[in-house]
Amino acid sequence: MIYADDGSLSQEQRLMRDSCRAFVDDAVTPFIRSNWQREWDMSPGERLPRSILEGAETIGVRTLGVPEAHGGVDLEHDTEVRTFALISEEIARGDSGLADKLVQNWKVSILLREFAPKHLQDKWFPRLLADPQFLLAHCLTEPRGASDRWLPYNVPEAAMHTKAVLKDGHWVINGRKQFISNGFDASLYVVYANTDTSVGMLQGTSSFLVPRDTPGLTVTKCNETMGCRFMNNGELVFEDCRVPADHLLVQNTALGSAGKYFRAGKIIQAAKNLGVGVACFERTADYVQNYVQGGRILIKHQAVALRLADMATRIEAVRSLIERASRAVDEGHPDMDALCNMAKVYASEEIMKVATHALELHGGNGAMLEFGIEKLFRDAAIFLHMDATVDVSRMKIIKTMFPATAGKYAGPEN
Amino acid sequence: MRIMVAVKRVVDPNVKVRLLADGSGIDLTGLKMTMNPFDEIAVEEAVRLRELAIASEVLVVSIGPDKATETLRTALAMGADRGLLIKTDAPIEPLSVAKLLRAAAIEEKPDLILLGKQAIDDDCNQTGQMLAAQLGWAQGTFASNLAVEGDAVTVTREVDGGSQTVRLVLPAVITVDLRLNEPRYASLPNIMKAKKKPIAERQPADYGIVVEQRLEIVRLEEPAGRLAGIKVGSATELVERLRSEAGVLS
Repeated sequence: MIYADDGSLSQEQRLMRDSCRAFVDDAVTPFIRSNWQREWDMSPGERLPRSILEGAETIGVRTLGVPEAHGGVDLEHDTEVRTFALISEEIARGDSGLADKLVQNWKVSILLREFAPKHLQDKWFPRLLADPQFLLAHCLTEPRGASDRWLPYNVPEAAMHTKAVLKDGHWVINGRKQFISNGFDASLYVVYANTDTSVGMLQGTSSFLVPRDTPGLTVTKCNETMGCRFMNNGELVFEDCRVPADHLLVQNTALGSAGKYFRAGKIIQAAKNLGVGVACFERTADYVQNYVQGGRILIKHQAVALRLADMATRIEAVRSLIERASRAVDEGHPDMDALCNMAKVYASEEIMKVATHALELHGGNGAMLEFGIEKLFRDAAIFLHMDATVDVSRMKIIKTMFPATAGKYAGPEN
Repeated sequence: MRIMVAVKRVVDPNVKVRLLADGSGIDLTGLKMTMNPFDEIAVEEAVRLRELAIASEVLVVSIGPDKATETLRTALAMGADRGLLIKTDAPIEPLSVAKLLRAAAIEEKPDLILLGKQAIDDDCNQTGQMLAAQLGWAQGTFASNLAVEGDAVTVTREVDGGSQTVRLVLPAVITVDLRLNEPRYASLPNIMKAKKKPIAERQPADYGIVVEQRLEIVRLEEPAGRLAGIKVGSATELVERLRSEAGVLS
């Protein structure tokens, strides 16, 4: 129980899951358990020791999405999203911040392989493969708009504030991005910017490849978060930041083109979230079978047992929905847009309840930093807001189900 | 030099096992299975010799049901070149394993056979020795270090209270111990690449071998449960009980 059923997985998926689990059990969990202070190191670059990403390299998990022709790996296409889900769950079971660090690389690698010109793939994929600390980031969110942009506001007023203009063979980017996963650490960014102010976001947003050392790009700060603290969010400012014309990935329809990846992204969010839930259950099940209260181990107290059952049930329900949604995305099922958002939003609320039980069943220990349960609680809480808030996700579900009637735009403020 | 490595599919050592109700064996229903950890060390050593260009090919062999291909696939993902499954659903004992491996060795002509010193499920520690005897090859057991030099291999053996170094002339059978190396993970890219590596399949009958069951498990018992702890009244009583009851002080 609580884990993926082996019978539902292919041989490769089982072997990959086993390698990820071995790495997490050997390297990640021991580090997290014995270094709780590292989360609060206010030099973000120093929080996660380099050895962890070097260790991740031994299972080749940082460079999924890099095509085989460039030294990466091609997963089975018709089960790719399911495999992403399985792997991200396993890594997040060790640390959800680490999982987020890694999955950003997969997502951006997919964009590069789909949209970047060959000579830029030839340039960047080898660099990505060669350096275990090389991270990628994907810059959508701005101070004045993020997932709320996906609400029914496809009008010029809701467009991105970051703008790009073609001038003398270069795209000149101006604007500000914030809360960017890996934003503080990444070496290469995919940046979304408005390129047509006369239309809505879906018709007027383009994507660009921007190397970190491009003049005019400044990483201004790490956006400090309450959970997933081993992944460093970042704020970036673009001031007349010039990239060559060939660094344009998709012109005007970048958000639609990235749709394939957005769906996988929702599933990966839910799967990482599930990994946090599994860690909550494992820690708690162990604790209540060893900690003695009133002369009996905790699990013999019926109220404790009931909470544990509730944790397991919620985990299984989340897993089932993730499996259904990831299959839908892999198969291109018509319901996939609703299902991937359902999985994401359901996981965030259910695993929060799982984490709450974990905290409760650990009593006072649950609230102590050195015990590590409060970390799981904080990590779970992040998912309520990462990659769309709960309410925005719900709006998207209903918009998908009732596109003609739900959530009509009321028009700009007078 | 060509290397053959034997790998066994066993219950994951991290899993808590339960006995069948009649005590005749372990209930394997739904249990997570994995490669015998000592065999992983053997595969790792073979792959390292291959990477050093001392070995030209690494063949991995497993004997068991269809699902043992997963164990072979893991070894291929670690870097072995090809696999051989000798398929049988019957329970199989060390002597039968040794006979089958001998037959495979005669067909495949490896210069060196590596095996784990024992499997963690039945802890027999017999197969390597029986195989060497049947082939009439040199044997080095419990290897914690090995170095190939020309047509010989120097093996450091873990023996009681120290180590013993022996020199074997190839072909040879070596069983490996825990300290020989630290096996790598099967990386995700290599797991995908391993899909394309060949796994041949044979039946025991193809080698003219009938798998016989010569041993009968009379009974398996779980270790006795841990007794409840007690509270002692004083340090003096604690020392006294440690001496008289626990026997840890003299």
